[in-house]
Amino acid sequence: MSYDVILSRDSFLLSVELRIFWAIALIYGASLLLHLVHIASRGALAGRAAYLLLWAAAVPHAGLILLRTFEAGRAPFQTLYESLSWFACSAVLTWLFVSRKWKGFFLPGALVSALALGASLYALLSRSPAIEPLSPPLQSWWFESHVILAFFSYAVFIVSASIEISWLAFRKRSDLYGLPEEQLKGFHDTAHRLILFGFPLLTFGIFSGAAWANEAWGRYWSWDPKETWSLITWTVFAVYLHSKTVPALKGTPASVFNILGFICMLMTFLGVNWLAKLLGIPSLHIYSV
Amino acid sequence: MKTRTDIKNIEWLSSLRKALAWSYRKLSSIETSVWLLSLLAISFMVGTIFPQGGDFDEYVKEGGRFVLLVEAFDLLAFFSSPLFLAIALLFVLNLVICTCERYKALFAKRRFPESFAPTKSFLVTQDAIRAHDETRRILNDSLGFRLVDKDSAWIVMEKGLPYRWLTWAYHAGLVVCLIGVLFTFLFAFEDTITLKTGSPQTVIPTTTGRVQYIWQNGSPQTDYHLLLDSFTTEYEESHELDYPDDRKARLAMGLGWKMPEHKMSVDPLFATDWKAKLKIIGGSSTLAEKEIEINEPLKYGGYTFYLMGFEQRLKLRVNDSFMPLDAKADDDVIIPGSMIALSLGTLRTGKAKRLDGTIDELTPYVTVKDSASKDEPAILKLNDSIIVDGNIVTLIGFTEQAILSYRYDPGVTILWIGGIIALVALFLRLYGSYYLLAYKVDDADAIVTVNFNITSKGLLASPEHIENRIEELLTAGDLKPLALPEQT
Repeated sequence: MSYDVILSRDSFLLSVELRIFWAIALIYGASLLLHLVHIASRGALAGRAAYLLLWAAAVPHAGLILLRTFEAGRAPFQTLYESLSWFACSAVLTWLFVSRKWKGFFLPGALVSALALGASLYALLSRSPAIEPLSPPLQSWWFESHVILAFFSYAVFIVSASIEISWLAFRKRSDLYGLPEEQLKGFHDTAHRLILFGFPLLTFGIFSGAAWANEAWGRYWSWDPKETWSLITWTVFAVYLHSKTVPALKGTPASVFNILGFICMLMTFLGVNWLAKLLGIPSLHIYSV
Repeated sequence: MKTRTDIKNIEWLSSLRKALAWSYRKLSSIETSVWLLSLLAISFMVGTIFPQGGDFDEYVKEGGRFVLLVEAFDLLAFFSSPLFLAIALLFVLNLVICTCERYKALFAKRRFPESFAPTKSFLVTQDAIRAHDETRRILNDSLGFRLVDKDSAWIVMEKGLPYRWLTWAYHAGLVVCLIGVLFTFLFAFEDTITLKTGSPQTVIPTTTGRVQYIWQNGSPQTDYHLLLDSFTTEYEESHELDYPDDRKARLAMGLGWKMPEHKMSVDPLFATDWKAKLKIIGGSSTLAEKEIEINEPLKYGGYTFYLMGFEQRLKLRVNDSFMPLDAKADDDVIIPGSMIALSLGTLRTGKAKRLDGTIDELTPYVTVKDSASKDEPAILKLNDSIIVDGNIVTLIGFTEQAILSYRYDPGVTILWIGGIIALVALFLRLYGSYYLLAYKVDDADAIVTVNFNITSKGLLASPEHIENRIEELLTAGDLKPLALPEQT
């Protein structure tokens, strides 16, 4: 195959990918808008439409990630553009999976669609979609296992925080939004169960990251900002899990810890890049900046 | 008769004992864990706000706003400061005491309430003794429950993974991890060494661990040599994406008004791997050898040798000069007799995988450009020349050196053992399933009911499933159960 053919083929594939990704971002935006209409009007129709739009965006989004994996010939989360896309898609898919038990209650989808829209627009407007070869430090099986599990835990934490925020904000009028009062406890317990599910994944993510750093950099821990923030996230979720066993803390304080954990998770993924840039702190995780 | 001093001593000892007991009680509580973990999280945050390893004078010179705090709490080396170490020590004490308390609890006789609130009840058609026997048989033989306690009216049984042991095991695993971290803190040290092909070198660390520093004031020289046998680099050719920085132009691309374009740059090679064939030589024999690369270190004699990068030096001949000009790749060089500083790129040598899938052996080359110019660089191949400001510059040779870092860290093995224990126990504890079931047969006014109380641990546990199975099996056992409305 001549170089001209390869270059025009790759340009064509990228242009298709970008158009689909923009369309997906648009659908996430529409879903967010309908979620807001649902919150304001309490109308089930708007909530259902918002929910269906999430399905309509998440399925092609997963297909798009598969296309990129095929195009690049490697796991699709090397650059921040790819990670943001993966982050948005995995959060939405996790919510769609968890929500099948709470059919008719759409409130948590608002935060999920907002995050998916934000991540997609950030990728499309601020990052380059170029497919690059895998740099030597990333050529390790730790790379895939570390990132997949860390992102899986992120998706679970997003959904947990969405449930927690919905519970805190609407627990006194949940029946107006399609969740009868007798189901409220079970719904809120889902937030706790999701953290129980995500916490070992995050623990493995940190442990595998340390094992990988030991193989690649010769040091399992460097107090790098990204490492430290992942430890902060882990610590805050450990606080949450412990507070669930203390009678005085298991109610609203535990919910606050869950939301703080979610904020720390966002800091680990994105905020730390901004913080490192702002304070001029060098980061070893340059490929994710 | 006790003197006043004796009484004072006894009072003092009693107060001390009370204070210690109070401290122990506090440190063995989960509530303390919550506060200490919170404090730890805040202290980690502090460490990411202030650049760790930064110089205090530099901080002051750059107009740092928190000079007093930085100085008082050693915020530029916060993770080894007394304040952080004190918080960490309290947390470790809390973890160790909680783990010990849990260990003691594992062997203590378990106490259950006198009475349980039934979560499921069945009205059955048989007499109480038959109902009791049948329920016990079903729970024991068909569902695999083990008897735990039968002292009260309620019979207590359990099934599944031993969650109390698992909870203890992941806490113990974390304690082992922290011991590993302590070993690293006390004994680990690292240094770098640069190896030239064919020139053996002895490993002489210039640094040492905190403990070794106290007893020997330095690390010993190793009794073996390191030899770099060969150094190779592999490349992949990749295209460059012409992608706009402007957000409106990016949106236009998404709308299909503009196409993204790929192009080939002057130097389209991307280093995908570099490998160093390393030998450990002792006397006249080879003790170990390995082709190391990033993510593939060599371990020998307690040290781990990592390939960190490489350094290339170029030999340039300017005009007909006999003395070649020694220049470092990826750096600027002043050409004698010229005002121009030449900016040199990385020397490319080795194998390259082309965009069309073919692989070729490269003729070594380096990119060169006038450092002040914004023009595209030119390619200077081995034994070829370019003209710089009227001077003929020829690339006549090059050398490559591997930069290795090596590290001695006895904490790693301990950390891995602790980590594996903690992870396995955590996954089993949180994902696995455990049931505690209490049942009681009631026989009031000839109406026989079997009451169950089922609680569970672990994400895979489903008390509803157990309740349904019990109902199915009671039916099959001819007890003709009638489920009563939930009483919780």
